[in-house]
Amino acid sequence: MIEAKSVSLVYENGTVALRDVSLHIKPGEIVYITGPSGSGKTSFLKLLMGIEYPTTGRLKVMGQTMSRMNASNIRRLRQKMGPVFQEFKLIRGRTALENVMLGMRFLGFPPKKMQEYAMEALTNVGLEHKSSSLVERLSWGESQRVAIARAIARRPSLILADEPTGNLDVDNAMNIMDLLTSFRDENTSVIITTHATHLIEDKEEGTFIRIKNGNLQIERRGEALV
Amino acid sequence: MKSAVYNMGYFLKEAKTLFKIDFMSNVLSILSIGLIFFILALVISGWDIMSFIIETIEKEAEINIYYREALNNEEISKLIDDIKSVEGIGDVKLVDEEESYLRMKDILGDEAHILELFEDNPFSPFIEVQINIAESDIILEKLNEIENVEYIRDNKRVLDRLYDIVSVLEFIGILAVVAVGISTLMVVSHIIRQGIYNNRDQINTLKLLGAPQPFIDFPFVLEGLFLTLIGGFIASILLFVLLNYGYGQVEMAIPFIPLPSVKNLIKAMISFTLVTSAILGVIGSLLGVAKQGEGYIR
Ligand SMILES: Nc1ncnc2c1ncn2[C@@H]1O[C@H](COP(=O)(O)OP(=O)(O)OP(=O)(O)O)[C@@H](O)[C@H]1O
Ligand SMILES: [Mg+2]
Repeated sequence: MIEAKSVSLVYENGTVALRDVSLHIKPGEIVYITGPSGSGKTSFLKLLMGIEYPTTGRLKVMGQTMSRMNASNIRRLRQKMGPVFQEFKLIRGRTALENVMLGMRFLGFPPKKMQEYAMEALTNVGLEHKSSSLVERLSWGESQRVAIARAIARRPSLILADEPTGNLDVDNAMNIMDLLTSFRDENTSVIITTHATHLIEDKEEGTFIRIKNGNLQIERRGEALV
Repeated sequence: MKSAVYNMGYFLKEAKTLFKIDFMSNVLSILSIGLIFFILALVISGWDIMSFIIETIEKEAEINIYYREALNNEEISKLIDDIKSVEGIGDVKLVDEEESYLRMKDILGDEAHILELFEDNPFSPFIEVQINIAESDIILEKLNEIENVEYIRDNKRVLDRLYDIVSVLEFIGILAVVAVGISTLMVVSHIIRQGIYNNRDQINTLKLLGAPQPFIDFPFVLEGLFLTLIGGFIASILLFVLLNYGYGQVEMAIPFIPLPSVKNLIKAMISFTLVTSAILGVIGSLLGVAKQGEGYIR
């Protein structure tokens, strides 16, 4: 699913966000990324989505080499991803349901299925009663859940969730973690970044990546060991 | 393609939102596009009317030959035979005083009562001759040499003047088409670019979700199409009113001038305006979406 060989990311202003990252993530893995603020978690996801390209090294996502030259292929690659952005990126002036469906309109879902999957995703995040509310009227936590619903409703092969529980109370956060990881199957990988180490400390399965100053420390538990 | 059909509702709604976001600029663009299309349509109508008048006059390429009134019937017959012998001459017909009076009465129609102001018949008899307009110069020269021919009235000078006017109108028309084309493209592509700028966050998000470029661009193309179509529609209404009114005025003032049918002219001009505006709208918005700010959006 993901292959990184000595990848580093240096921003234009000279900030080194990631240093010499090498790792291999198989389809169906659950990956938790933790690390202090500014450590490079979002930067790593940006590389996976082709928002930034590696400064050095080689990165392949679902078989696609991530480089500026492949920009148009990468756009298509994104259709197989379910991104939850740290700042949500919901579209103002639209309802929650319209926001969820907007991620699906160009993916070839039959109209009925699209509506059904979108409602189902909103129900999964506990927001079916807000489906026709404009997103700017939603609370912070509700907006976050709409963003999650948009990511999962389109049935992606790679879920990339950047701090999806950042603004939720512990109960809701646990539910969302469980919901996101429930989409994992042999073909679908889930990558979640979080500050909240207490939410994942007890997890018996998954790949745990700690980033510090752009360096990665990887620990695998349970099935992920093999 | 299939998704383009079932997303039509979404695209239309998006285009409407785009329109509302920048309402004032959109309305002003529509008005200016409407006005420039109106002017274009006017110039082309003028061009069309002039060409029609010329064509009609060319078809009626006949000249009137006046002779000395003192001629007796025998001399007139000989004159007619002389005229017939000139090459390039078609029908030749003697129009006597009586008929020439009746004809004028016909032409004047409702205004014919002015003829009653004359005590005697003010018209002279003449010989009406059909000629080949292409050779009119040589024919006229030969006819002038014939004995007893006093004066030849031809519409060549009128035609020459009309040709001049048409070539000026043609030039203005071409200029107007080019000017309207360029300014419409500029107005539309500018406003589309403005819309893209206003919506850059949304566009960026769509790109991050993997939306294909045509999916992102389509609402903007629709917006551009609506701008020019509504503009063209306004121009059509103005043109309809003006042509209807103008025709009435002209027909009242100069009843014998040959004019093309107003219905056909209006129909042709309105289809021309709407089709041109639609084409320019699509091209303009495609130009507008073609160069989207690099850097920010990937
Ligand atoms: N576009 C950019 N240009 C320059 N520097 C950047 C840019 N984006 C991020 N950085 C810097 O790169 C480093 C890593 O940022 P990143 O956003 O990946 O951290 P993070 O781990 O996601 O932090 P947080 O937990 O606060 O979200 C930070 O020092 C940040 O200031
Ligand atoms: Mg971050």
